[in-house]
Amino acid sequence: MKIKILVQALAAAVAIAVGLSVAHAQDKGLENPRSTTFHTALKDKKVVFVPLSMGFDLTEGWAAQMKKQAARLGYSFEIRDPAWSTDAGTKAIQSLISEKPDLMVVHNPDIQSYARLLKQAQAAGIKVIQINLESNTTTDSYVGADWTEIGEKAAEAIVDKCDAGKGISTKVAIDTGVPTAASDVFQLDGIYKVLDAHPAIQVVSQQATEYNPEKARSIMATVLQQHGDLCGAIGIWDNQDTGTASAIKEAGKSDQVFLVTSGGGNQVGCENVKNGLFNLYISYNVPLQGDLLNQEIARLLMSDSPAGEVKTMYFNPLTLITKDNVNQRNCWTLDDLK
Amino acid sequence: MTNSDALTRLRYRFFSGRLVGEILSKSWIDSAIPVAALAVVLLAMAVLVPGIFTVAYVADLSRQLAEFGLVALALTIVVMSGGIDLSVGSTFALCVLASLIGMNVLGLPLGVSLVMALGTGAICGTLNGLLIGYLRLRAFITTLVTLVIYRAVYDIIFPRLASAIVGNTPESTLWDYLGFGTLYGFPVSFLIFAAIALIIHMTLSRLRPGWRLRAVGGARKSAYNAGIDVKRTVCLAYASSGVLVAIAAFLFSARLGSTGADTGIGMEISVLTAVVLGGVSLGGGRGSVGNAIVGALLVLILTNGLIRMSTPGSVNQLVLGLILILAVLFDAKWVKNRGKILSKVYVSPTYLALPARPERQDDPYALNDRLGVVEPIGLGVVEGPEDVVLDADDNLYTGTRHGTIVRFFAPDYGRSEIFARIGGHPLGLAFDRHGNLLTCVGGMGVYRVSPSGSVARITDETNRSLVSVIDDSRLRLPDDLDIAADGRIFFSEATIRYEMADWVTDALEGRGNGRLICHDPNTGRTTTVLRGLVFPNGITMCRDGQSLLFAETWACRISRYWFDGPKKGTREVFVSNLPGYPDNINRGSKGTFWVALLGLRTSTFDLAMRKPAFRRRMARRIAADEWLFPNVNRGCIVQISETGELLDVLWDRDGKNHPSITSSCEHKGYLYLGGVSNNRIGRVKLPNADPDWTAQRDYWGQA
Repeated sequence: MKIKILVQALAAAVAIAVGLSVAHAQDKGLENPRSTTFHTALKDKKVVFVPLSMGFDLTEGWAAQMKKQAARLGYSFEIRDPAWSTDAGTKAIQSLISEKPDLMVVHNPDIQSYARLLKQAQAAGIKVIQINLESNTTTDSYVGADWTEIGEKAAEAIVDKCDAGKGISTKVAIDTGVPTAASDVFQLDGIYKVLDAHPAIQVVSQQATEYNPEKARSIMATVLQQHGDLCGAIGIWDNQDTGTASAIKEAGKSDQVFLVTSGGGNQVGCENVKNGLFNLYISYNVPLQGDLLNQEIARLLMSDSPAGEVKTMYFNPLTLITKDNVNQRNCWTLDDLK
Repeated sequence: MTNSDALTRLRYRFFSGRLVGEILSKSWIDSAIPVAALAVVLLAMAVLVPGIFTVAYVADLSRQLAEFGLVALALTIVVMSGGIDLSVGSTFALCVLASLIGMNVLGLPLGVSLVMALGTGAICGTLNGLLIGYLRLRAFITTLVTLVIYRAVYDIIFPRLASAIVGNTPESTLWDYLGFGTLYGFPVSFLIFAAIALIIHMTLSRLRPGWRLRAVGGARKSAYNAGIDVKRTVCLAYASSGVLVAIAAFLFSARLGSTGADTGIGMEISVLTAVVLGGVSLGGGRGSVGNAIVGALLVLILTNGLIRMSTPGSVNQLVLGLILILAVLFDAKWVKNRGKILSKVYVSPTYLALPARPERQDDPYALNDRLGVVEPIGLGVVEGPEDVVLDADDNLYTGTRHGTIVRFFAPDYGRSEIFARIGGHPLGLAFDRHGNLLTCVGGMGVYRVSPSGSVARITDETNRSLVSVIDDSRLRLPDDLDIAADGRIFFSEATIRYEMADWVTDALEGRGNGRLICHDPNTGRTTTVLRGLVFPNGITMCRDGQSLLFAETWACRISRYWFDGPKKGTREVFVSNLPGYPDNINRGSKGTFWVALLGLRTSTFDLAMRKPAFRRRMARRIAADEWLFPNVNRGCIVQISETGELLDVLWDRDGKNHPSITSSCEHKGYLYLGGVSNNRIGRVKLPNADPDWTAQRDYWGQA
């Protein structure tokens, strides 16, 4: 009799256990409203990129990044390419002001040319992000290098090598790009803030190369002929300073002249550091800037506040690349980004 | 008439094809093609970029046009002078620098900065002008060198002042107004450009400096021989180009507020494209402000549209370069071939069927030698005496192809003198009530010569008809005239499509290209009375004072037109199916009329007149001097009655003196003969005429 009750109790317990397990089948989780909004809010918006020109590492890198996010989040991304012409750029922006896209990403050839137009664009309700080269007008957002900081760091490295008693002489050459561009005016300010504190350093040449490596090469060749004991050189962009570097190498003074340059950090620049053409490369890291751009684009497109109401800026951190830290993290190729 | 003939007649009545030739002959045809291209581009843009033509777009475009258009005008002036200016881009950059130094760096008032900019432009332009105008250097290489020099000056100065330029903004409302202001919706810079363009258009087309510029550009040696100071004209062209570029640069600085290293680079190519696309000929001498504007619009709309379509920048340059090549090619071919195409296409034959000549045994027009006994007057003294007339003192007057009217003195007409010099080729002659000699001068108009020999113009224009492509307010070939009792002058204009030099080509057309015109000296107005007449030639008043007879040469008929009275405005055929081409008609004694037939009909030509397609093929394929022509070498004189019946026919059988006769005048029993391709006047006695009859008395009463 007792065993019968025991078996019945056991059977009941098993039945209950099975019943319970069948009743709670799977946990399907909760819908995340923020995720849904994030992926749908930006559909059918329009973003237009007005670069200095397409066809070189910086703008191609940023454009590749921006295209990826546009594909991911469903907004349209267009490029209006002025091909280095300030005039064509102003025409493009003027026509965009009447087309009214949701957001423009603008790369300024100099600090004044687009200034008034960007004001007008903001007044017309278009959100504007300025990338890497600023203008006198502050807009919704700026993402890019701090040229003053780059200038200071470059000058500090030069002072380290060429101050009184440290190098073969105290002579330094500076080659700039476009005298009215942000990369020139603000970088020169940073350079001279440091150099003024070290009066021993003499700047023997300061010329504009207009981003042309051939011009940079011939300028440096002339400088080296005039000042054979040149200690250091500051160039404002790696793409033009390939010319400066080759002039130094042709003169056989690669070990003597300390060349500091800056750029987006792409693989070609890194190679030049590895083989000794550049001595210090200040990288503003295009992939990083691309990610920051994307984040700013998403933030501004999702925000309800009108254009120009809240203005932010982010000067991204710089990486100082020398022979010792040329690695995959610091250097990128375009294929990596596509 | 067969069915095919009827169809041909209808077809040519409505589609004679003359419009193509007439449009091609207009002076504005050079501009028509670029305008058509502009229309095509506008259409293409509207299709490819929907929604492009908004008010904002037009405002943008007009602002860009202001600056670009001014530089295009500058280059147009230089190209019209026969040169080229490749340094416009560098001059532009220097002037922008000057404006910004004045406004931004030095903080000078706007007027002073403007003067600085204009001065810079003037110096750059004058330097070019001195080198090319006075030192006779080649324009292309010289401006290429100054391009480099001015650019170098810019590259030296600009970097030193760059930070100062971009660091300061001038506090000037006028400056902002220039750059961004609007007046009644139009951008201020565009209004300034429009005003300047209008002034330059006036100067180029209607004032002396413009004509001198075109003369120097089109035919430098001839201009020099005509006394134009060629060197100064060329120098001034470059100097004014520099000033215009400076104005454009000033507007640019106001709009952008800064300048870069690439300001003005490549501008010379796009402006040159605009100028050539617009229709200004690179050879010099041809062009206008309209051309520059059309070309500038084309280039601006194309570049804007390409940027708008997100094409890569390098593709834009490629497209512009290709268009420039095509435009230059077209310009070269067009200028060379326009004359050739025009001469082929202009002749537009139409259908003209004449009634068949009857075959009769007793042909009243049979050949005789009534003019065999003619006495020549003025043999070798006159050339081309188309019409002859005698005054109350029996002196003989005739016009010559040298533009003079020659008087032969009665009674033997051996002595002669030049009575008046007018010009052209005086054709029809008539005396008015007061003894003034009125004449239709081929190529000029209707003129009057007083008895003392002083010349005055009566009229050389009539009212312009609205539907005519050719400007028919000008008189090209006034032929004959006659005077009504109240002094109104009725004259014929033989054709509006051909000039005096090639009048016979009108025969090939067979179209009613001529008209009858009336000038009323009481009101001084000239109006066209009848249109669409087939080479109207001789005119004479009928004795009822209300109608006149006029001959239509290629139609071989004489018609009567009532200009007064109850039948006013009606027209009827008076004599038709003449065997030849009637020229002048004049009154004769006993109520008759004398008609001169300047040539005879041939079956070949009559058949050709029914085959317009054949004549058109002939005109296009064969050289002009091989074309089929009517016989205008052999004619006669015909006397008809007041009701149009044939009374008498007079021939010069051997054709030695008067093979072709264009006019006859009866005076006191003699008949005087003229011929437009003859070199003598003839005089023959009329046995049955009234020996005291003169035309003066017949018209005006007393002697």
